[in-house]
Amino acid sequence: MDFSQLDPHCQAILQEYRDNLPLFRDSAEKIHTTLENTFREAGLLVAAIEYRVKTEESLAGKLELKGAKYKSLQDITDIIGLRVITFYIDDVDKVASAVERLFKVDWDNTVDKRKVHEIDSFGYLSLHYICYLDGAPYRFEIQLRTVLQHAWANMNHDTGYKSGVEVPREYLRNLNRLAGMLELADEQFSKIRTELNDYRRRVQALVASGNLDDVPLDGDTFRSYLNLGPFTSLNKKIAAVNQAEIQEVSLMPYLTVFKGLNCKTLGDISRLIKTYSEGAYQIACYQIGLTDLDIISSSLGPQDLCLAFILKNGGGKAGIRYLFETLNGPSESNDFLADMLLEQAQDLPFMNQ
Amino acid sequence: MEININKQENVTTVKLVGRLDTPASVEVSKELEPVAADAAGTIILDCKDLTYISSSGLRIFLTLRKAATAQGGTVIVKSINQDIRNVFMMTGFLNLFRIEE
Repeated sequence: MDFSQLDPHCQAILQEYRDNLPLFRDSAEKIHTTLENTFREAGLLVAAIEYRVKTEESLAGKLELKGAKYKSLQDITDIIGLRVITFYIDDVDKVASAVERLFKVDWDNTVDKRKVHEIDSFGYLSLHYICYLDGAPYRFEIQLRTVLQHAWANMNHDTGYKSGVEVPREYLRNLNRLAGMLELADEQFSKIRTELNDYRRRVQALVASGNLDDVPLDGDTFRSYLNLGPFTSLNKKIAAVNQAEIQEVSLMPYLTVFKGLNCKTLGDISRLIKTYSEGAYQIACYQIGLTDLDIISSSLGPQDLCLAFILKNGGGKAGIRYLFETLNGPSESNDFLADMLLEQAQDLPFMNQ
Repeated sequence: MEININKQENVTTVKLVGRLDTPASVEVSKELEPVAADAAGTIILDCKDLTYISSSGLRIFLTLRKAATAQGGTVIVKSINQDIRNVFMMTGFLNLFRIEE
């Protein structure tokens, strides 16, 4: 590319850039990998980590506009630029502390644009760090923002100051109104996450303390409950009939089943286990006792518990079909299974007690 | 016991014919090793002519399921007869597989 319109001072800066381009590319990639590894090790999920090395064209444009301002290439701090986009506003501060720990920060040029706004102004919110490159006399920039701030910044960039056309006041006002709204939305997302984590902790505490009647049945609570192994004892008892091995599988599909059986709290499931374990054991004994089957899955306990509950409470064929359809989808064979189980149930002691 | 393995693109069809009892399981298990090693796609276990399954047979199904899950694949058990379906139900295996008619 020809940048002959630039004065010799700017040409020298441009040449220094060309000479060091491999270093810039290599450093950008290394910094990106360092950030990626650090976040992964810390269990911090971010939306994206972007990086780029300024193009020659873009640098020439910058020099053409304000070349005299820079004594050398070292004064240009965004040759290497990275951007970390977080999901939550709280995570911007976490990423910031990681950046401060990982790199030597040039505090004089680091700007927290989140703090420069007056109480009645809204708009660009982002944290810009300028850091020193290790082993070379250059600096690089890391921008930190949330996905919503990123979305706003991109929209603003498209319609805003770089378009070369003066944007009417009403559009600018609308953009600023949007900035205010997104700021609130960012706060709300963080608040919801915090509340949800509090809720999970409370539920785990309730599950651990045994106050199961106070815990509504949902995906989170059921998962916590399963961690206590509520079906383990029944499965072991069934497995002992044939000295079978137990294959552990996910029992989460039973959440829908238990809800369908009108369980509203974990206490309801706990009572169901207590009341129908003997029936479930009798069903399992009847079925596998005279076979040489020596392998069962951990879903056998809850399956036979649900069967015992349905049979004892007059759920009949429709109830059994519901169980198998919920777990395996509709099939004509579910009718055969239901008929067989209804016939077997007539011989089982728990049905006649 | 007969076993036919046919792979077309992403779908491996394993046709099982006869009784999958303990002695047959040793051979079947060996034949299915390459299927388990390459289980990222769909594995269809065609059981239309499978007349019996023992615990060893269930273990083979389970091994395939584990391999497929680890590699992002799926195992579909197709056309099992009512006796084998009962065995699946009695052991709690029924909801471990996608069962198709």
